[in-house]
Amino acid sequence: MVETRNALVTGASRGIGRATALALASAGVRVVINYARSAAEAATTAEAVSAHGVAVEVVQADVADAQAVAKMFEHVKQRWGGIDILVNNAAMTHDAVLMMLSDSGWDEVLATNLRGAFLCCRQAVRSMIAGHWGRIVNVVSPAGFLGQRGAANYAAAKGGLLSMGKSLAREVARYGITVNAVCPGFVETELVANLSSEMRERFLAQIPAERFGTPEEVAAAIAFLVSEGARYITGATLTVDGGLTMI
Amino acid sequence: MDRNELKMQLKHLLVEGLKLDGVRPESIRDAEPIFVEGLGLDSIDALELVVLVEEKFHVVIPDEEVGKLAFASIDALADYIVRQQPGARV
Repeated sequence: MVETRNALVTGASRGIGRATALALASAGVRVVINYARSAAEAATTAEAVSAHGVAVEVVQADVADAQAVAKMFEHVKQRWGGIDILVNNAAMTHDAVLMMLSDSGWDEVLATNLRGAFLCCRQAVRSMIAGHWGRIVNVVSPAGFLGQRGAANYAAAKGGLLSMGKSLAREVARYGITVNAVCPGFVETELVANLSSEMRERFLAQIPAERFGTPEEVAAAIAFLVSEGARYITGATLTVDGGLTMI
Repeated sequence: MDRNELKMQLKHLLVEGLKLDGVRPESIRDAEPIFVEGLGLDSIDALELVVLVEEKFHVVIPDEEVGKLAFASIDALADYIVRQQPGARV
């Protein structure tokens, strides 16, 4: 990167968010590490980011909370100016078959996974428009295209995130801002680690690459989409799933 | 700043910020709708104008409801800026 950019990665304390923060740092980008609950893990991520010799900020904020999001952006603005790169990675699950899904199980997943991304985008695009440069990457899921049994809330949120991103991409392309999605398949995070061995085998059988992905492999795709070379790519979905979906 | 000066500044901002080639700032009427009927700007043009006005005049135009009122015309925009800046009397 030619000049120092400011990136915000939501849900960056672990998993794909953490790997993304590190990948951006290694490209010389200053990184804001957002987390909701995992303070200790966020601090560990921050240390690892610092090791790349770039400035780092750690900000606690529930992305579903508009006031908390506004405060987070204000904090960054005071320190570094506006956000140039936004990675909407924060997500949660609350699995249940639709018939048994509670109101709160629906609401909280939509709030974090979809509303949270909307709130962060709304804040970020102002400074991006002013600077005529910006990169937004939304982390989506095959569930958002294909649906997923027991995860209608998660699938709806991810499908919504995908089409929200495409809409925003149309609105801001003229300002040098790109909005893309990365769609990871099964990645070795806590989510996959907690699967039963029987489930692991079943999922593995569906993956042409015959292994789960790593957070670093997803982060590499995100790092590409925010790079200068990806400036003409917008509204796209980069699938990182070892051939699982081929969509 | 006097009100006419503010309105003239806004017209210049409109023309320069949005690269309205061929439009003379003084030809923009104070009461003319800025968008759709007036200057034929669509809502995507408005994004940059919102950002420019916010930065130059230190005001916040938080959402579409406020935006619609504030950008109804040059008059309305001047009113909005004056109301948002405490102590400013134009």
